[in-house]
Amino acid sequence: MVPDADDKSPALKLPDTVFGQAEVRRLKRELESLDDFMRQANLREAGKQPPLPKTSRLLDALASENGLNMLQAADRTKLSAFLEQVDQSAPVLHFSFAADPSVAFLTKLVAWLRENMHPQVMINLGLQPTLAAGCIVRTPRRSFDLSLRQHLLQQAPLLAKAVQEAESAPSATPSVGVRL
Amino acid sequence: MTIWWLILILTTILALGSGFIWLVLHIQAQGPDKSKEEITEGYGRAADEDVEHLFNKEFREELRNRGRLHFENILNENAMFLQQDLRLTTSQLNEYMKSEISRELKQAFINYESAITDAKQLAVDSIQKTKTVIDEERKSLVAQLEKEVNEEKARRIKQFDDRMAQVVNHYVLQAIGNQIDLGDQLEYIITELQANKKAILEDIENGA
Repeated sequence: MVPDADDKSPALKLPDTVFGQAEVRRLKRELESLDDFMRQANLREAGKQPPLPKTSRLLDALASENGLNMLQAADRTKLSAFLEQVDQSAPVLHFSFAADPSVAFLTKLVAWLRENMHPQVMINLGLQPTLAAGCIVRTPRRSFDLSLRQHLLQQAPLLAKAVQEAESAPSATPSVGVRL
Repeated sequence: MTIWWLILILTTILALGSGFIWLVLHIQAQGPDKSKEEITEGYGRAADEDVEHLFNKEFREELRNRGRLHFENILNENAMFLQQDLRLTTSQLNEYMKSEISRELKQAFINYESAITDAKQLAVDSIQKTKTVIDEERKSLVAQLEKEVNEEKARRIKQFDDRMAQVVNHYVLQAIGNQIDLGDQLEYIITELQANKKAILEDIENGA
């Protein structure tokens, strides 16, 4: 879903390394912990505060990309609301690959999706070794088979045509050859 | 021949009897008068004696022998005639039986021949009908077989095409396995996503 246009504050941007709902919920929990810590620190006497907890790389990236200061309660509130809104309403696409994708691959894929599809799109990952190459994309209502398996199945008539040509001219070399 | 002898003997006996009667009458005319009863009695005795004298035992035996011989001859002749008649009758009966049997056999053969001809004609007609039916059935079966063969051929070809594609796909996918790095696939995946971008966007907007 496209972010609300009536919102006066500029929309926050998810870093490309945050690509799943699991990361968003982990960020929410981390942000809640940080908020609790800051609230408790305000109640303590000066000089007796425990050391500031170390934030995760994702939270750091989220804050830095959006120019937010996690020490500021307003920024934390704003970020928390944003994460809640992403968790509740961000579109989720399910991707199935033949092998486990690397983080760099996912980062590039999510960047393209958020640039071309939706700025807050989330992805879930699955594994289907029979795909060989490509992927299967499942939206809430439909499924898009973008795999090499499907591509080969769609090209089956081409194979039949090549076989028929080979049968009609058995001594000739088939026009469609397989190169290994 | 024997009859003539018999006639001769009877004639002799009649002549002797007539002479004897004449003699008795002549003696009676010359003799003393006696009562009629005595005379009659005397004639009777004399006749009996003469008869006894003429037809004595030897003569009767001779007559009996002659009669037996004659009877045997008659029997033999009649037996011969009867045998001849019997042979003739038997021969005629044989001829009659032969002709009748031949005629009956000819008629029976004619009937049999007619029946055989009819049966043969019926058999030929039946065979002809059977042949016609078999020819029609054969044509029908050939047409059906050709149809089924063509259908089976088309089905096999279609099945071959389908399965060939499946086999080739399976082989290619198994051969490729996980050898293609996902990083190398990114461009292909993005191209495919770009091709389906509109549909995915519609689904996202409508389904979110």
